[in-house]
Amino acid sequence: MGVVCVYMYPVPEGKSGQQVVDSMQRQLELLGAVKTGNFNVDCETYLSNNPQGTPQRSLHLLHNSEQPASCFSVLDTGTTLVADVLFEVLMAKLTQSKSGKDGFYQQRKGFKIESKGPRFEISDFVIKIGSVSMASNFKGILVEVEYCPCAIPAECWDLMREMMQSFMGTVADTPPAIVKSKKDQFYTPADTINQYLEHFTNFRKATVASQQPR
Amino acid sequence: MDPSLHQALKTGIAPLHEYFLQGSILDASKEYLIHRLRGLCDHADSQPEQFNDHEMVFMLSGQQQAPFTVHLRHSLLAPECWHLRYVGVAEMGDKTRQTLVRTCLDVGVSETIIKFLNEMGFRMEYEFVARGIFFHKGIMKVTVTKMFKMNQVNDTKSLEPVSASHLVEVSVVASTSQEQIGEDMKNFAEQLKPLVLLEKVDHRKLQPVTSQTNT
Repeated sequence: MGVVCVYMYPVPEGKSGQQVVDSMQRQLELLGAVKTGNFNVDCETYLSNNPQGTPQRSLHLLHNSEQPASCFSVLDTGTTLVADVLFEVLMAKLTQSKSGKDGFYQQRKGFKIESKGPRFEISDFVIKIGSVSMASNFKGILVEVEYCPCAIPAECWDLMREMMQSFMGTVADTPPAIVKSKKDQFYTPADTINQYLEHFTNFRKATVASQQPR
Repeated sequence: MDPSLHQALKTGIAPLHEYFLQGSILDASKEYLIHRLRGLCDHADSQPEQFNDHEMVFMLSGQQQAPFTVHLRHSLLAPECWHLRYVGVAEMGDKTRQTLVRTCLDVGVSETIIKFLNEMGFRMEYEFVARGIFFHKGIMKVTVTKMFKMNQVNDTKSLEPVSASHLVEVSVVASTSQEQIGEDMKNFAEQLKPLVLLEKVDHRKLQPVTSQTNT
């Protein structure tokens, strides 16, 4: 596992998401990238049914097809838990309502958001072009680039930037905030998940804002 | 996704069951039992494996809901290992069933788990240290455990034994409806007699006794 940067790639007006994905795919293939299957990162959100007096918590449960045996849970406080995928059964138990009484947590219906698409390899890099959708509505494009041989962002950022700018242009000028804050530390899969969550939260916020009456 | 896991997510019912028998042995006789187990179990020629775990029990309670309990184990020998466990109520079943059965869910977790549980609304109920050795025989797990009280919260150094005996447990985690396992476990338990009697211990009957000793 190396260092990962996730960027929101803007979809220009008059173009569909699929067109942008296709042209980027062609560009990558010209660079010599080989398609190695598909990937998927998804996020479900739960809210606590706490008794009065305690703050309501939201809990995001995410999966990454790159780590298929794990699931990642992030609380609104920022605490991140990496657990076996069975943790989800525990969550299902907590959301279950018994004899008419609500569970401890409830799932936010229609709030599932995911990014999926093709996965490419080009020597030491793994590149993923994800189309983000929520309740089967297209929301945008997230591009993930991983440099596998290094785990410390400061050591490989310049190399990564050069690589990313070759097909993404100015989008990849500065490192994502999470990568920046961990420049001299070991980068972990939980950091990747937090980058995705940040983007997902922005997409969701944009949805809520656009739905409001003008 | 694995279909049994998918089913478990839909119903919220753990996909695995633990079949187990419990008993105890006085500290003075422990060595005889260990010798016997080393002979009976796999890898008789190597030293039995030791464990030294700090177990914390967390509870989530609400106004309407029945409290929800999880057990968190932290190995003191390998401090990077954290293990979260949910177990259901032990079912006695009828006479045809040879062992106690409970649903169980074992989840490996990262070291942020204590903070995570607290922020989720869980509160720590009690904690203890369990020290001992474990053996394998096929898919059966045999543990001989000494339980220790902790004199101070979160201090795993100052310990006091709970009793003058060791807890002996034989358990198998498997999917449901594998009654054959019960037979195998019963046969194994027979071979440990008369050193230790491994039985289906009715946990409901134990409760009043412990509450009396507490008062």
